[in-house]
Amino acid sequence: MTDAAISIQGLRVCYGRFTAVDGLDLDIRKGELFGLLGPNGAGKSTTIRVLIGQRRPTAGRVAVLGKDVVREWAAIKPLFGYVPDRENHFEEFTGRRNLEFFADLYAVPRLRVNECLKMVELDDAGDTVVRGYSLGMRRKLLLARALLHDPRVLYLDEPTANLDIHSAEVVHRILRERVEEGATVVLTTHDMDEVEKICDRVGIVCKGKLVALDSPLNLKRQHTERKTDAILTTGERMTFDMDREPERESLAELVRSGTTASLRTREFDFHATFLKLTGQAFD
Amino acid sequence: MRLHILRALVGKELRRHIANRGGIALGLLLVVAALLLSVFNPAGLGAGGSSADEGGTGLVGGVHHCFLYYTNEDIDLMSPLLDHLERTLPPELAPHVRIRSLAPDRIRDGIEYSPGTASIRITAPVVDGSRRLRVEIFHPPGAAAAMAPYEAWLWRELRDGLQLIAERKLQSLGVRKPDIRTTGPDDDDLWAVRDSFARLQQDVEEAKPGADIVPAVEIDRHGLGGQVLELRSAIATALVVFALYFSCVYLLPTLNCEERERGVLLAQALSPASPFEILLAKFLFYPVMGGALAAVIAGIYKPAVLSTLFFWMGLFTVAGGFLGIGMTIATLAKTQRAAFMGAMCYLLSVSMILIIASTNGIPVISNFALEYHVPRVLHAALSGSVQSDHWLHLLAAMGLAAIWLTLAGWLFRKRGWQ
Repeated sequence: MTDAAISIQGLRVCYGRFTAVDGLDLDIRKGELFGLLGPNGAGKSTTIRVLIGQRRPTAGRVAVLGKDVVREWAAIKPLFGYVPDRENHFEEFTGRRNLEFFADLYAVPRLRVNECLKMVELDDAGDTVVRGYSLGMRRKLLLARALLHDPRVLYLDEPTANLDIHSAEVVHRILRERVEEGATVVLTTHDMDEVEKICDRVGIVCKGKLVALDSPLNLKRQHTERKTDAILTTGERMTFDMDREPERESLAELVRSGTTASLRTREFDFHATFLKLTGQAFD
Repeated sequence: MRLHILRALVGKELRRHIANRGGIALGLLLVVAALLLSVFNPAGLGAGGSSADEGGTGLVGGVHHCFLYYTNEDIDLMSPLLDHLERTLPPELAPHVRIRSLAPDRIRDGIEYSPGTASIRITAPVVDGSRRLRVEIFHPPGAAAAMAPYEAWLWRELRDGLQLIAERKLQSLGVRKPDIRTTGPDDDDLWAVRDSFARLQQDVEEAKPGADIVPAVEIDRHGLGGQVLELRSAIATALVVFALYFSCVYLLPTLNCEERERGVLLAQALSPASPFEILLAKFLFYPVMGGALAAVIAGIYKPAVLSTLFFWMGLFTVAGGFLGIGMTIATLAKTQRAAFMGAMCYLLSVSMILIIASTNGIPVISNFALEYHVPRVLHAALSGSVQSDHWLHLLAAMGLAAIWLTLAGWLFRKRGWQ
């Protein structure tokens, strides 16, 4: 497929007898912000590890920008940026020194270091030793490092973990800007609001398999539960299915009689969707 | 290989050391130690020691090995005499005495003795047409008493051996019951010993005049002097070796594992830097840093050593070998703590093996340890006493260094930073 920035075909990754990814087929388009979701141990981190060349597939083929991740890894490396879930800086260096080192490896001018520090709002803290950074600052520095060489593909593993609301907004803005400039962004997260807010498409993996692939809006449409929860003045809790006429009538009668203390409609719930899609939903 | 990447990686190593300061502090301490060694010289000895007896004792006290060298000039006398000495060697001394023949042309050659060793040399020269038995004791400088247990056995059995030989000869010459049973020497007083041998010779002469059965015994006792490891050059050698060990076997693996633990090694691996460039930068930085420090220490102790080819060849060989060991530990250890323990355990186990092999006379095992050859090579360079043996040690060290480097390279390619 020509417009696929990342093409995963029949990916299978095994750790001994355990199969972490089991026949994953997925195309991520160029210029798309893609959210890779799934519960813990679903296989999303393994998939990212394959994409960054740190895990060889047991079977299948993975291509990034048309290049095979196994055979052409050296050619792929300069094309992507990676924000790991665990921060990995030189603690004894300042933020600026950390970026300068990687800027030298990527052969990008030092001016770009200042730009990236400013982009993530760390320009004031650039000359502080990383040891003195907060968790949020460290994560923002990771993003700055990943952006140094202006990569065409960006992988982010929970990029907004430990960030305050403002910093998370900054990261979201940067990612959207990157996508508008034509870059492809793949992120993993457990924050459903984040997914809904910034992702163009979402892939849900569970037990190594892709169980859903669509835009957040379509997923929401498909999985929104048309139910209403009511708490009566007596303290009793009741649930009404809005797709059934008798239950709609019952709810209307309760509202008219003024015996409802509180009403709540159920909207899109990714957690419930996960459980539903993977057949693990509670009755 | 791209120069800008290599420059960035080497620069990073340097900056990390500048930022952490611990390695630099220890390096400075080593330099200060070398300065003190150079400035404070109470015995007034020049660098490299002197042949004077006061040149310092070995690093190991006493004599744990005594070499008994003999020549085969008078086979009729030496053969039964050596048999007797070997047969009567007390069990407590047997593990410590090595009896070896010595070619007559090597008598005047310098034989270098490791600390804690000494020798007895028995030769049978003919001087002015008369047979002699020359016995020389070479004891550690300033520690003649360390040879006491060996000498007690030697004088007693040498005299008994000569007596037995004389008895047999006299009997073969028709003297039925030769009366030559004189009291043997009981101590290491050379006058008493000489007197005992003189009386034996006199008794034999009286039993069969003109038979020339027992030769005149000449006894001499020397300090080994410059032939043993001189303390100051030994310390300088230890400082140089430690500088290289510290840099390549301790710092390299621990910092490498720290990078791996923190995930920084992965970050570098995901950059355009190839595994080969990452490895090469470390290969360049640590041996150069250790080598430079070692050269500074050696230069402070003895500036002239810096102009000798043997020293530099030795230094590069040691640096290469230690680098191989360091990278092997770095590749096998998963954490910084494991790397530190690995470096310490390696040092301890090799030291133990060398000591056990040395004290039990198993030199074959020692030859497989780089640390066996390294001090000999560097000490010879620092004390200016390079002999053919030291070139062999250097050659062996080069071979072992190549093996370690090959192993490290193979392991790194196989396991990498994972």
